[in-house]
Amino acid sequence: MPERMADVDLLPGAEEEEIARAAADYLAGELPVTRCHRPDAELLSAEKRAEIAGLGWFGLSLPEAQGGVGLSAVDDIMLFIEAGRFLAPLGLLTSALAARVAAEAGDEDLRSVTLSGGAQVALGLAAPQDEGLLRLFDWKGASLVLLLGADRASLHGFDAAAVTPVDCLDKTISMGTIGADALTLRAEGGGLAALTGTLNAAAMLVGMAEAVLAMIVDYAKIRETFGRPIGAYQAVRHPCADMAVRCEAARAQLYAAAVSLRDGKADAAAQIAAAKLLANQAAVRNADWNIQLHGGIAVTAEHDAHLYMKRANLLARLFGAERTLLHGLLDAKLAA
Amino acid sequence: MDLDFTPEDDALRAEMRAWLEANVPSEPRPAEVVAAGQYDRDWQRRLHDGGWAGINWPKDYGGRGLSAVQQMIWFEEAARANAPAMNSMLIALMHGGPTLIARGSEAQKAFHLPRILSGEAVWCQGFSEPGAGSDLAAIKTRGRVEGDELVVDGQKMWTSFGHWADYQELLVRTAPDSKRQQGLTWVICDMKLPGIDIKPVLSMSGEHHVNMVFYDNVRIPLANVVGGVGEGWSVAMSTLAFERGTAFLADQVELAHKIERTIALARKTRLENGRLAIEDDGIAQRLARLKADTMAIRAMTILGFSRIERANQPGPEGSMLKLFVTTTYKALSELAAEISGWGFFEYGDNRHSNRMTYDFMWSWVLTIAAGSSEIQREIIADRVLGLPRAR
Repeated sequence: MPERMADVDLLPGAEEEEIARAAADYLAGELPVTRCHRPDAELLSAEKRAEIAGLGWFGLSLPEAQGGVGLSAVDDIMLFIEAGRFLAPLGLLTSALAARVAAEAGDEDLRSVTLSGGAQVALGLAAPQDEGLLRLFDWKGASLVLLLGADRASLHGFDAAAVTPVDCLDKTISMGTIGADALTLRAEGGGLAALTGTLNAAAMLVGMAEAVLAMIVDYAKIRETFGRPIGAYQAVRHPCADMAVRCEAARAQLYAAAVSLRDGKADAAAQIAAAKLLANQAAVRNADWNIQLHGGIAVTAEHDAHLYMKRANLLARLFGAERTLLHGLLDAKLAA
Repeated sequence: MDLDFTPEDDALRAEMRAWLEANVPSEPRPAEVVAAGQYDRDWQRRLHDGGWAGINWPKDYGGRGLSAVQQMIWFEEAARANAPAMNSMLIALMHGGPTLIARGSEAQKAFHLPRILSGEAVWCQGFSEPGAGSDLAAIKTRGRVEGDELVVDGQKMWTSFGHWADYQELLVRTAPDSKRQQGLTWVICDMKLPGIDIKPVLSMSGEHHVNMVFYDNVRIPLANVVGGVGEGWSVAMSTLAFERGTAFLADQVELAHKIERTIALARKTRLENGRLAIEDDGIAQRLARLKADTMAIRAMTILGFSRIERANQPGPEGSMLKLFVTTTYKALSELAAEISGWGFFEYGDNRHSNRMTYDFMWSWVLTIAAGSSEIQREIIADRVLGLPRAR
């Protein structure tokens, strides 16, 4: 039997747990999932944004010297797991990344605007099929566009009038396209923003995978067919067990990835890529099974199940596309 | 959260690496069974003399007393050095020995534990029966107390290495009309006793590894009963208290090497269309996904240790790890088979003829033995998710 406590420890500590608890409390009260059924679901009001900024969420892992809270990548994921669980606006993540880019660029004004929630930040993505256009996400009400590259992240001003709105499958996200030449560069940073974005997107996906597992487990206990709760049938129990395994694997790898980024390990990028791949699978597959096991009720608009299915499929393609992540992983050398 | 090893653990890793480099045999394990058994004993003897026998056993019983994390370091270094696996020593080291440490008498411990550590004694398991595999509590093999003996009649199944083992951890029903977990007894059975008949079961891999064991009026001294007559179920479960989430550690660590070997194979193997396998998008993507899975297995392993350190007992999360590890192993074996093309079929009915094809078949052993995937899903549904009982 072991004669001392292990120093290697992947469980969250009390302070890390507290970040998750506080985040879940706030989100349940102020940004409950029910809001996603409203027609203006994509809008995060300026007041809410300022309130969230007041909680320190946009600068959680930014050093204090740069105006942040001075916590780490590990604390970040504890927050973003909960953000995912409540289908929080994408802007939570883009604002935090924008603050990092502004800080890296040494632009104090922009840093202070983004940290204080003074700007909504859209995510921009160059999609090959869009031919010279950038695809924007969460652009309604936004004043900045964030572009994330492997070695370079940048913040741009843009004119909302130049955006061509496009209806998005996920009604909680505004989508549009804009000519790349319609952006004006405001600040540039390094590759850390993209890595942080991939890690925290993985965290949001883990939270979503866990949320839909909880949803179907609750339902399987009360919904009866043929005189028994459906959760007593192995045809339901076993896919639920597989959903739990996906959550466990994705959460474990997420923790390992966050620690490797916090500690500056050489294989941090590979660990984060693996975390995103596992989180994609967990969220997309679990959202699928959640609908299937619920049965007909889950294909109705009023049910929450489709909200998670749509967001999971979207987020699985943002902040690191599967193909890119897979390609990098094959050659990656892992630390012992 | 922390993934840094202590300086003490880093020093231990260096010590392990140096010892393994100097001591791992260069010749492979022989294919022939008796020679293979001797090879396992010789390696155990060398581990013993080097101070590496029973790494998970307490120091008081001659073990190394390593923590779960240090055991992981050992298996990482052993895999790196291509060290022999425990093979026929596994039941003694990981099961029989730990059970004696938890529940055995002083006399039982004094006799058996040193013999296990030195490689002198090989143990096998006698739990499963033709009608009791996943449902262990359904066992029917009878034991009746006569004077100072336990007289055993019945049959056991899947007894790995039973044909050269010295002792068996045998679970029998001693209360004739007892139900399920009640009335069972755990006893040390000497495999040379009269009345024991061992019949080989050839597996689909072509190897003789498991056996049927028949007991006809086998008289075992009562002094060999561990934990008392009728206490068998709790004795069988007591190994769980010893278990620190390390039961499948060797398999978990080996997977990280297996994926890299398979990637290397894909870099040099040409497909039917003449292209290298690694240049095939589908294959490259599956390899990368499986690499991510093996990374997650290491993280899940450490997360499991961390939970056990806090709770001081293993939780149902172990079932999630077992299911994930064995499913990943199977997917990787299938992919390796696909990459190697016709090479997959070049197999001569033993593992040395083609390790990859052998591993492909071994993957069913992993997904069925020690609680099949279906049983693991039941455990998860009951104990992790709290779903209504199916039974």
